[in-house]
Amino acid sequence: MRKIVTSVIAGIGLALACGTSVRAQDKELTIFWAEWDPANYLQELVNDYTAETGVKVTVQTTPWPDFQTKAFTEFNAHGDAYDLVVGDSQWLGAGSTQGHYVDLTDFFNQHKLTDVMAPATIKYYAEYPGGSGKYWAIPLEGDAIGWSYRKDWFEDPKEKEAFKAKYKYDLAVPTTYAQLRDIAEFFHRPDQKRYGVAIYTDNSYDAMAMGVESAIFSYGGDLGDYASYKVDGITNSKEAAAGLDMYKELYKFTPPGWGKTFFVEDNQAITGGLAAMSMNFFAFFPPLVNKATNPYADVTGFFANPAGPDGKRFAALGGQGVSVVSYSKNKDEAMKFLEWFIKDETQKKWAELGGYTCSQAVLKSEAFQKATPYNKAFYDTMFMVKDFWATPEYAEVLDQLNQNIYPFVVGGKGTAQEALDKTAADWKATFTKYNRYK
Amino acid sequence: MASVALTHLDPASRAAARGWSDLTIRNLFIIPTLVFLIVFNIFPLIYSLGYSFTNFAANRSEPWQFVGLQNYRELLSDDHIWSNFVITAKYVIVSVAGQMIVGFGLALLLNRSFPMKGLITTLLLLPMMMSAAVVGLFWQLLYSPSWGPINYVFGLGDFAWLSNPDSALYAVAITDIWMWSPFVMLLSLAGLSAVPQHLYEAAAIDRAGWWYTFTRITLPLVSPILLIALIFRTMEAFKTFDIAYTMTTQPTAELIAIRLYKQAFQQWDTGKSCALAYIVLIMVLAITNLYVKYLNKVKER
Amino acid sequence: MAAVRTSSEVAFNRIAIAAVLIATLIFLAPIYWIASTAFKPKELAVSVPPTVLFEPEVTPFIRLFTKRVQMQKPVDPQVYEAAPWWEKRIYDGGERVLKVGNDVQLSQYPNRFMNSLIVAVISTVLAVGMGTFTAYGFSRFKIAGEADLLFFILSTRMLPPVVVAIPMFLMYRMVGLNDSHIGLIILYVAFNLSFSVWLMKGFMDEIPKEYEEAALVDGYTRMQAFFKIVLPEAATGIAATAVFCFITAWNEYAFALIMTNRRAQTAPPFIPSQIGSGLPDWTTIAAGTFLFLLPVAIFTFLLRNHLLRGVTFGAIRK
Repeated sequence: MRKIVTSVIAGIGLALACGTSVRAQDKELTIFWAEWDPANYLQELVNDYTAETGVKVTVQTTPWPDFQTKAFTEFNAHGDAYDLVVGDSQWLGAGSTQGHYVDLTDFFNQHKLTDVMAPATIKYYAEYPGGSGKYWAIPLEGDAIGWSYRKDWFEDPKEKEAFKAKYKYDLAVPTTYAQLRDIAEFFHRPDQKRYGVAIYTDNSYDAMAMGVESAIFSYGGDLGDYASYKVDGITNSKEAAAGLDMYKELYKFTPPGWGKTFFVEDNQAITGGLAAMSMNFFAFFPPLVNKATNPYADVTGFFANPAGPDGKRFAALGGQGVSVVSYSKNKDEAMKFLEWFIKDETQKKWAELGGYTCSQAVLKSEAFQKATPYNKAFYDTMFMVKDFWATPEYAEVLDQLNQNIYPFVVGGKGTAQEALDKTAADWKATFTKYNRYK
Repeated sequence: MASVALTHLDPASRAAARGWSDLTIRNLFIIPTLVFLIVFNIFPLIYSLGYSFTNFAANRSEPWQFVGLQNYRELLSDDHIWSNFVITAKYVIVSVAGQMIVGFGLALLLNRSFPMKGLITTLLLLPMMMSAAVVGLFWQLLYSPSWGPINYVFGLGDFAWLSNPDSALYAVAITDIWMWSPFVMLLSLAGLSAVPQHLYEAAAIDRAGWWYTFTRITLPLVSPILLIALIFRTMEAFKTFDIAYTMTTQPTAELIAIRLYKQAFQQWDTGKSCALAYIVLIMVLAITNLYVKYLNKVKER
Repeated sequence: MAAVRTSSEVAFNRIAIAAVLIATLIFLAPIYWIASTAFKPKELAVSVPPTVLFEPEVTPFIRLFTKRVQMQKPVDPQVYEAAPWWEKRIYDGGERVLKVGNDVQLSQYPNRFMNSLIVAVISTVLAVGMGTFTAYGFSRFKIAGEADLLFFILSTRMLPPVVVAIPMFLMYRMVGLNDSHIGLIILYVAFNLSFSVWLMKGFMDEIPKEYEEAALVDGYTRMQAFFKIVLPEAATGIAATAVFCFITAWNEYAFALIMTNRRAQTAPPFIPSQIGSGLPDWTTIAAGTFLFLLPVAIFTFLLRNHLLRGVTFGAIRK
């Protein structure tokens, strides 16, 4: 017994010693982001800032499904754990109206950032409400939905011949959703452990919503009128239902057990040789071009999101801007960091490391577009992006969408029209609750 | 506490007149714990009871309003919430029944002397020493139809445990049974070893059959402790959050604790969440009360 | 069993022992899978068919402790040659280690692990300590409404964590205890205390009153009798209770998920974040899980006799 007591006391002593030694070091900034490669690239980038100024900058990450919850729990606790947060575009509404973000309008105007950053990134990552000229974040990481595919399967003469015989047109990179569906069906061969397509189905955050909205937008549908909050007849339009139906159709050709998938699973569908095509945000493509992580790196190609039946072509917007947390105790230090971050050299370095800069000059440069096999497709996509709701009640709106479409897409319950009708009704109730229809 | 009671102490302990009085010691030993539990368990509950009648949202600065029973009315007429309760009930029944059968079965098998019994018993406890969140995460890999060992070993082919809306809940329950059967086993083992040997010897002399011995001697004597295991596991299963939360996002496997978490910390509908929390709390208390009443009856026999 | 054994009984015994061994293997298989994944090369963690035998490597542990970044191109051969062995393993996986100057940047894992240790050890000591005193109080002194008070204490354990988390979150926000070690310790003590009182009361009831009374007659004070006579007798119970409390606090997830962030986050909500930034990396998660299981497994193994005897002890009481 004495031994146990002694060791317990020793344990407490040790623990306390460690607990207190965590303190100190005055100049320190913490940036909060999700767990993915760009966050690691950012850590590498900010190490330069530490070398220049002596201010230690740490990028803290959390898994994507928890990202929003963790960030907002901290905001709503009015905690000062994070000085800056690289928040999703949809958070702007809540971040600005609930007082979590510092107003960066003056900073924006002073540095003429509207001329520096790409227009789409300013519209979606920085400004709230839309068109107000008030800015809450500096565009940091541009991103959108794109596709990777197996070039060797597509270019195999035998496959080409068989495809032509079956579908009466040539097998090539799909430019419409209908073609994408045919190719997915064509390559879907469960007996050979080969499957057609990998898509997002994770409903714990916005993954599935991003996949679904890409289809809905391209089919000519919309999620609602973001200005007037009108949803009836928009969210549940015929076009939107057709887009959702297409997404459900694609789910048929996914590998088995594809009911909770996001970027890691979709990348693995390629690296594991499972699928012919795979949807993913561009920022997740780096592991696919390195032989060490993708045995099929040489034969993996990329394309932009295909068009709908009327030729409309959109892709869901990902990406984030960086905001200063209003509860931070180092706001001045954070502003200094932002000044460094928007410098041209920093943005260039950021792109070189693998980050998706939003700086127009860098994006347009040939060096950037040729840097990776997918940067060109990324550049093209950034001109056809559309985003989800960015209203303050975003989390509720997203959860209601997930609740209604997941059982349809993965569970096969009901019809697309029913799922969207329910969504429209839920959204209307939510917007009514928050007095959006004044 | 009545002050009258404080002065009437057992006369036998008056011997301890030296040092602190028994009264002081008793108060010193008990009151801090009671105060602690009241401050950190009961006070928060009163606090949230108040909020359950308002439209308070912890993420907004606007003043909240008193809305009476509206939160409760809305919740009780919400089909989603009802389906969460039905899912939870199914889950509790399946996983607790599984744990009781597997755990008690293991204890029956272990209740004999053989070499390395202590080691094997300890090894069997390993699952319940793990973090449920990590267990849930890892079982995703075990259940994977493409590279998981479960489908491979049992030849289940492409059966997608977690992506199939009908099987996801049971897949979670199986994992929970794996994790917590050892707990039931441990308690049952304690109960079994407390059965006096002479009763078995008497039964053997009477040439009683195995079934007779089991149902007339073993079961009645271990039933109190089995009931304790049942109470604990039912309570815990009703509260299940981590294992299901990390394992699946199927709406058909959305337990009430997960819904509550989403409502409280993703949507920040604080007032309504407090109301839902109260509904959950009352259900847990009701179930536990039933069990405890039954337990007392069993003990009296 | 009776002294004389029939042959059918012996046979039954053998079958039972065989069944125990098989059950043990089934129960340990998932744990073997986790432990073995911690030593697998990344690609073997998701191979078809699943890999059982392989050449173990420690790369997952190197990954667990370092901050890394995905490389878009193969590494320069000269850089590779100049790197130490462990860094080569990282390069082999298509990643490179992040450095500030020449210093390797460590991952958050050691810090999260330490937080778990601080919170679990302190909360266990407090819960078991307070529980022991209180249990003694209930066991030895007459208390008005004793049964009701005990039921009240037990009932606090029935609260689902999320139910408690909502008001506690708001209260902590007022006093600034969110994301602090103390805040988490308080929650865990509150959670474990009821269990501890309840278990310890069982043990205390078993210790004959006569022991202390003899000591009191010998001139001990009540406090001396408690520390010198009762506590040593209760050691087994204390150990068993400590194991249960420690396991609960060590593995707790919901409170840690909601209440902690940068400063006080413990390992359970952190380990899943090692899933990988571009491709799933089960090996690093497995390595983190494996290391995280070790302390509690060792603790339980050391106290295993107390645990088994302890539970028996508590159970015999009526």
